[in-house]
Amino acid sequence: MISNDTSLMAHLLRRAGFGASRDELEEYLEMGYDGAVEALLNPSDPGNMPDDLIRRYHVEQSELRDLPGSAAYWMYRMISTTSPMEEKIALFWHSLFATGYAKLNQARSLLNQVDMFRRSGLENFEDLLLELSKDPAMILWLDNNENHGSAVNENYGRELLELFSMGIGNYTEDDVKECARAFTGWTLGNAEYMSIRAAKDSIWPYGRIAWHFEYRNEDHDDGEKTFLGETGRFNGEDIIAIIVKQESTARFLATRLFEFFAADEVTEGGEKVIHEMMATYFSSGYQIRDMLRTMFHSGYFKSEAARFARVKAPAEMVVGAIRMAGNYQNPALGIEKVSNTMLYMGQGLLQPPSVEGWHEGLEWINSGALLERVNFAAKELSDVKSPGVRSIIDRLEASSGDGVLVPSDLADRCLDLLGPIQVSDETRSVLVDYASRQGDLDLTGHQLGDEAEQRVGNMLRLVAATKEYQLA
Amino acid sequence: MSTQTQSPSIALDYVKTIGIVNNGLNGRGFANPYDTAVDGDGRIFVLNRCDPARASAIRVGICSLEEEYLGEFGRGNGAGVGQFVWVVAMALASKDRLFITDEYNHRVTVYETSGDYLSHWGVAGSGDGELSGPAGIAIDSSGDVIVVDQHNARIQKFTEDGKFIAAWGSFGSGEGQFNLPWGVAVDGDDNIYVADWRNDRIQKFSNDGEFLASYGESGYGNGQLQRPTGVAVDSEGFIYVADWGNERVQVLGSDGGFQLLLRGEATISKWAEDYFASNPEEKAERDLSNLKPDLPSHLNTPYHVSSQTEPYFWGPVSVTLDQVGRLYVTETNRHRIQVFQKR
Amino acid sequence: MTTTRREKSLIVIQLTGGNDYLNTVVPYEDGRYYDHRSTVNIPQEKVIPVDGQVGFNPSMGPIKTLWDEGKVAVINGIGYQTPNRSHFRSMDIWHTAEPDSIGREGWLGRAIRDIDPQGDNVLTGINFGRGLPRALGCPGVSVASVGDLATYGLFPDVRDEELRMFTLEAFSRMYGGAAGGDPVLNFLGQTGQDALHGADILRTAPAKYSSSVEYAPNSLAQNVKAISQVFHADLGSRVLYTTHASFDTHSGELLTHAKLWDEVAGAVGCLMDDLEEHGREDDASILIFSEFGRRIKDNGSGSDHGSGGVAFLIGGAVDGGMYGEYPSLAEAEQLEGDLRSNNDFRSVYTDILEDWMGLDAAPIVNGQFEKLNLFRS
Repeated sequence: MISNDTSLMAHLLRRAGFGASRDELEEYLEMGYDGAVEALLNPSDPGNMPDDLIRRYHVEQSELRDLPGSAAYWMYRMISTTSPMEEKIALFWHSLFATGYAKLNQARSLLNQVDMFRRSGLENFEDLLLELSKDPAMILWLDNNENHGSAVNENYGRELLELFSMGIGNYTEDDVKECARAFTGWTLGNAEYMSIRAAKDSIWPYGRIAWHFEYRNEDHDDGEKTFLGETGRFNGEDIIAIIVKQESTARFLATRLFEFFAADEVTEGGEKVIHEMMATYFSSGYQIRDMLRTMFHSGYFKSEAARFARVKAPAEMVVGAIRMAGNYQNPALGIEKVSNTMLYMGQGLLQPPSVEGWHEGLEWINSGALLERVNFAAKELSDVKSPGVRSIIDRLEASSGDGVLVPSDLADRCLDLLGPIQVSDETRSVLVDYASRQGDLDLTGHQLGDEAEQRVGNMLRLVAATKEYQLA
Repeated sequence: MSTQTQSPSIALDYVKTIGIVNNGLNGRGFANPYDTAVDGDGRIFVLNRCDPARASAIRVGICSLEEEYLGEFGRGNGAGVGQFVWVVAMALASKDRLFITDEYNHRVTVYETSGDYLSHWGVAGSGDGELSGPAGIAIDSSGDVIVVDQHNARIQKFTEDGKFIAAWGSFGSGEGQFNLPWGVAVDGDDNIYVADWRNDRIQKFSNDGEFLASYGESGYGNGQLQRPTGVAVDSEGFIYVADWGNERVQVLGSDGGFQLLLRGEATISKWAEDYFASNPEEKAERDLSNLKPDLPSHLNTPYHVSSQTEPYFWGPVSVTLDQVGRLYVTETNRHRIQVFQKR
Repeated sequence: MTTTRREKSLIVIQLTGGNDYLNTVVPYEDGRYYDHRSTVNIPQEKVIPVDGQVGFNPSMGPIKTLWDEGKVAVINGIGYQTPNRSHFRSMDIWHTAEPDSIGREGWLGRAIRDIDPQGDNVLTGINFGRGLPRALGCPGVSVASVGDLATYGLFPDVRDEELRMFTLEAFSRMYGGAAGGDPVLNFLGQTGQDALHGADILRTAPAKYSSSVEYAPNSLAQNVKAISQVFHADLGSRVLYTTHASFDTHSGELLTHAKLWDEVAGAVGCLMDDLEEHGREDDASILIFSEFGRRIKDNGSGSDHGSGGVAFLIGGAVDGGMYGEYPSLAEAEQLEGDLRSNNDFRSVYTDILEDWMGLDAAPIVNGQFEKLNLFRS
């Protein structure tokens, strides 16, 4: 019996996490919806795979000289975390403040940026923008190391307003210039050496050298500036203080958070929630956590309208399937194949295609990506040896008094345990017909890998291949 | 630089740095070196862990202290004869033989220092003589091979041909227990020292496995350790520890008392010079840079500090001693060996 | 889906990592080459002489054979104005024909869109390898990525043929139903059908193919063989793309570079033989390029990222010969220690798009570029 509580909790966990196995779902159900929201919004010890273990076996994830190992490191965190919201918010900011390996050739610093998102991503937006402006990966990405008092480079100043806060139409070209002036001198230590190493993709002689922020006072334009109608000898933090006061900033942030966590498309119902989130933005003093709380508690988010209203991003597709199957719980050769698969699906961690990040929703779907998505999830969830699938088999057996499942129950319960996932009548009838080919399923006394278990694996494979499984 | 106790009985002078990263599949340079062995002729053998992208690359490179690249050998990546997947450590035996552990293939492979494959032994398992993730390896004075059997939480002793002699240890934090142990060394009296990695200590045993002493505890103060990976003992009984988690090397007295620690002070190797000769503009910027900068407070762990400070050790996995008082610190994340001389 | 008229196809082999121009087309008559490349050079006696001034790397035997038949255009000193020595950025520039800003559409993605604006044939452009190179990426343009032609499609890990068939049938039913009210599910349904359909068609290609040519067992040759199978199956594929790596020879260059070119030349030789055997050598042209060349001075074991490089266009319809100028090795002519390029890669793209594919080049390459006239008229 799929209760609305269970469906709702699964929905929350798909959004604030990567979905949940039935075991995880039951743990959160004990907390109740409100308790679960609080637990998710206040990540405690993430309990992920420890760094020392990872670095012992994966030298490439210790040194982070190249991209594949670095992306795989983040995969391990997403897969093993018990605080999934920490990873989802990091992914959200990573996509929004899209900073790419391609230009930087410096994965340690990129991962430090991701760490910063974990640390500050649910807190105050003003503090976050300040940390972002001091983030050396961002500085080099948008050329702020070339932004000198004597020769202003507007790249960061512009994108800060256009892509990271207010959005086009809410400021003038003069504002861009003044903003850029305020950030002169915000650079990284040894900027010239690091910059040439980035441009040349230099790993010589002794591997990469990571970056840190440095403020060069002598390079800073200390003069008077007029920004969004206010005047003063503004430095970067002053500009940020003005930016966060703007309604356009509130709207921008609320909309982006909504689109990532609530629904790909903003309907009228969604507009209402965005307004509420904007109000929370101001009343809470720009707290992102509070805005998300408003959103998670909104009638819209809890309603049917928001259910499955997002196309899963490749990260959610891959990590969701792996967590459900219970795989990759220890360092293992082959983890890079997993992050590569995400890349083939169109989302390479640490390499957003441009400063605009990834275009989500239906843009994730094309024939090549769909093949990769279906094939990956189907393979992961059909393996009866993996712990998560074995757990599903045990639950299926226990769900029937005599261990026997009629075809429709097999289909329905697999849909339930992998979600619950809502499917159309057509999809369901295909699943039931598929199960009916071999009649009732008797799971009593099942042995590892026997035919009865394989039948469960086959059903899970087909569920993973449904259109509806593509949605979060 | 180095930090010392009030009046240490030992002094180590920095000599030079050997190495450069090799991004290809062969040729001079190293690819995440995990261990070093030095023979009587001063030839330096370097065991490369090799990251997945370079999994098929040559495993053992050979060079001299003058940084001549002398050669390389290995049969590529895999489970075939003479092949490797996850190499960990190597020990040089008499008759010019190198014993190399592979924690993925669960075996020990023997090569001659000339590069010829000789033999391999070991099978996966937990019974006597079986291995699960062999890590550190050392040879005692009678030619017996001591292998750290990581996932079985024990030390095993074999003949050169891999015949089981003895085993001791179990999982735990008590005396004679281990938690994912890594490096091992033998002293002049054939006592056995184990870098008990996740217990943050060095344990000393008699040659028969009788527990003698335990040195170190978790921490980053003097004499404290964080995930020690390697250990070596010189003729005077000084104990050198690769304090990997703290990105440093510590020297303890024969009583286990703290003597001094090294943070690393690498300079440009000869191969690095060659690189800069072809890339002068990069060298010019480097010369204007501060390679030991001050760091913001959130980048304060040894790992982060070392990732930003090129002269410091980063991933100092093993410590090796030669017969003339030289210490070789193998740094896996910097693809180099820093050489020190005992005064 | 089958076309009766034989259209011209472009085959692209991308050499990823920055192919060393100086050791590919070797200026062995120029003493300065040996001065600068004191270690990492091709000895004079090993070079395959081509025109008395330069020669090919010894591994390029099959390319020399094709050169003698007049089918190889060597485009010397190819690049773009402000060289970027970062792999990703430079490759992006070649892929999007946008050196000055971040491009969003690949040049071949745009070409495919122009060829098939309604997306009638999901196999118009195919990448042989997993993932999709940005050159082929363009919103709304469907491009298949074939990792392994023999197993391409859905559920490749299901070994049991009968089980796989039932699963595919179920998939087809789920995705093939009538369009319902939900646009997202409709789009998913349509895409799934396209993927299934494309896979069904592609799977027929190897069966239709017969040839006496034997391709080597390396990954490039197998991808090129797959290209050949799909090309000869006449599925309407106009752009067939593959990549080979890694040409990023910072150390141990001579051995690695030789092996890589052995594989490239071998694969190209086999492909041309195959085309000839089927009487189609005038219907396909092969573009070989890399994202930059390498530095003039070696580093003792290999060479580092440079700028100006070399590209090849090979085919029965190509007007073979030397194009562009071999960049000078004189100190004064160098660009910060690199070879200076003297023609823009977008010129080659223009030649291909206009004279080979019959498309309007300027909107695709974001400007007008002087053609090199690489094709026989």
